[in-house]
Amino acid sequence: MADKEKRRSAALPSGMSSGKVVKSDSDREFLEQAGVGDLLRGAILKMVEARSDDPIGFLADHFCNLASVTDSGTAGCGDEDQQQQSAGLAGAGAHEQQRLNRALWHLRLAHHSQRSAFSNNVRVAYDLLNLNGCLSQASENPEGPDGSLLVVPPDAEGSGGVKGGLYMQTLECLCSEGGVPASTSAPLLRRLCCQDHEAVPYDVFRHGVLTCAVFSDYIRQAQRLYAEVCCPDEGPASRALCSAVLGTLKEALETSQDCDANCFVNANTKSSACLEANAKAIRYLEASAKISPHKLAQVMAGAQTSGPGGNMDAKEFENAAADLFIARVKVVS
Amino acid sequence: MNRLSSAVPAEQYLADSQVLFYLNDAVTQLLDHKEEYTQFGLVRYFAEYFSSVKNSNHVLFRELNYIRATQHNRASFIRVFWRCFRQIGKSGDLLSVPEYRSLLQLLCPDFPLEAVQSASRIVLADDASDGLMSFSDFIYSFQLQFCYQEFLDSIQVIYQDLLAGKSPNTVIVPTSSSVEQLVSVATEESDREEQQQDAVDSSTLAECVDALCERSKHSYPSRTCLREVLEQTDKVSYYGFLQSLANHESINQTIGALPSKEELLIDPEMDQELDKLIAQISVSPGSNSSGSAIGGLKEVQRRASPRRNIHHRRKMEVESDGSTEETDSSEN
Repeated sequence: MADKEKRRSAALPSGMSSGKVVKSDSDREFLEQAGVGDLLRGAILKMVEARSDDPIGFLADHFCNLASVTDSGTAGCGDEDQQQQSAGLAGAGAHEQQRLNRALWHLRLAHHSQRSAFSNNVRVAYDLLNLNGCLSQASENPEGPDGSLLVVPPDAEGSGGVKGGLYMQTLECLCSEGGVPASTSAPLLRRLCCQDHEAVPYDVFRHGVLTCAVFSDYIRQAQRLYAEVCCPDEGPASRALCSAVLGTLKEALETSQDCDANCFVNANTKSSACLEANAKAIRYLEASAKISPHKLAQVMAGAQTSGPGGNMDAKEFENAAADLFIARVKVVS
Repeated sequence: MNRLSSAVPAEQYLADSQVLFYLNDAVTQLLDHKEEYTQFGLVRYFAEYFSSVKNSNHVLFRELNYIRATQHNRASFIRVFWRCFRQIGKSGDLLSVPEYRSLLQLLCPDFPLEAVQSASRIVLADDASDGLMSFSDFIYSFQLQFCYQEFLDSIQVIYQDLLAGKSPNTVIVPTSSSVEQLVSVATEESDREEQQQDAVDSSTLAECVDALCERSKHSYPSRTCLREVLEQTDKVSYYGFLQSLANHESINQTIGALPSKEELLIDPEMDQELDKLIAQISVSPGSNSSGSAIGGLKEVQRRASPRRNIHHRRKMEVESDGSTEETDSSEN
């Protein structure tokens, strides 16, 4: 990374249009003064961390977001600004809305499978949301010009957590952005629910956010699975096939969950950590074998001849699949 | 894709993303127009720059070197060309090589004649270089030629060798500077030869093309498409081959700049805009008779230097697409 930086800054002067030494000196001065180096370094670091599939789009969004933060929402180049403007009418709520938008933006930066990047972003989002109302003056702009969060002194988060209402709003937005209909995500949110007046600690926040992110992916996969099972020209898929697929899915989920349970039991004994990791990996392999195309085809072939009649529509399938997932989510209390 | 392989080192990811090229250009542009952009706000400037790269508007009025620098830029240029001039296709006018070049120069002042000629050879199958071409024939051939120029040049060299009966294994891929020389020599030679023999064995060419893909540093159309096209006939000529590639829908989709041939000229929004505009022109007393898109454009071209003017306007509204530019110029 570091030598990349060097290469880039070395490339800049040679790319300049005028070869005059005087000019290039003043150019360098200008760039230094304007803080262009820091700005771009911050952007590249963010981009490399997120490993976005669309780097150009990522940078466009990144700078747009920075611009809307520094312009305090006067002019905009994204829908985020419209949200902020409409929220502006609400006065006091506007601040909160703005912080929520920015927190969501951070959460969107990296897919949850990029675990360390995602964890960083969850932390940043949490700290953003955790800024106390009375501190809002001092922490008007907790992000540096390069988009990195300035360190918040520990006593600033003294009150001990994000407001429950904000936490729930975050989760709702994550699910709906992930393409999950509100009716499907509602049971999940009930399990993750915190009351409006509660202060949500970081662990709970992270658990909620991660669960919603994984859930969105899971529902999208389930929707795709249904699309595979049903032939679009022939209307809804047969109930027999769907039940067979759901049964297989359930079995696979149970297999993978056993391993989680085992791990929790042994979590204290550090000596067996390696063994556990192995056991876990074997469990996951077993689980994925249970839902392999081959296995599915077998089960579906069997179901075609016997099994309940009638059809199952996409929504019912989605709900059934969601239930399988949600049943495995711990209730937050 | 990247997401699943987080093992990709940062350097590799950065190099693949071509982001450094754009950052370099953004900073160079910034230094060339310091005063304007500082006023504008630096963060906002970078936001606008990358939004326009994302929306493919960034190649408007830029120099050829920039436009050709990345595959994304090339595709963007094709898209901009299509958006600005598709009305010509609609009116059904047939244009010549110099006329197409004039249109291209409106978007890129230093656009070379050779690139247009190469595209026209694909349309006209190498003869009658002063022939007239329809917009849709031209644009798909131009797209192929412009996006894969280096690769096609190498194929041409291979093709000429095959025609001359040389073993394709001895073919050395020329460096880009020597390509033009080689090609021009080769074309002269082939002119003589083509009277007797103007095609090579498709399967032999397919083998050579496959080997070329293996070692090519430049972008090329998908190998499945190349093979598919070559499997259609026993014998194939160079321009026949290119013509099939230009009309290949999945190659077009991969480039992603143009819609399919059937939808190339369909654009209800633009039609409405144009109808409105024509209505305005016919009402306004000072209007001249240049209602057609080409008339208006040729007029712009005659004016001293439209570039500075439009270029300046572009900075103010980077979001505006080519169609607005066109509308503006025909109003003037």
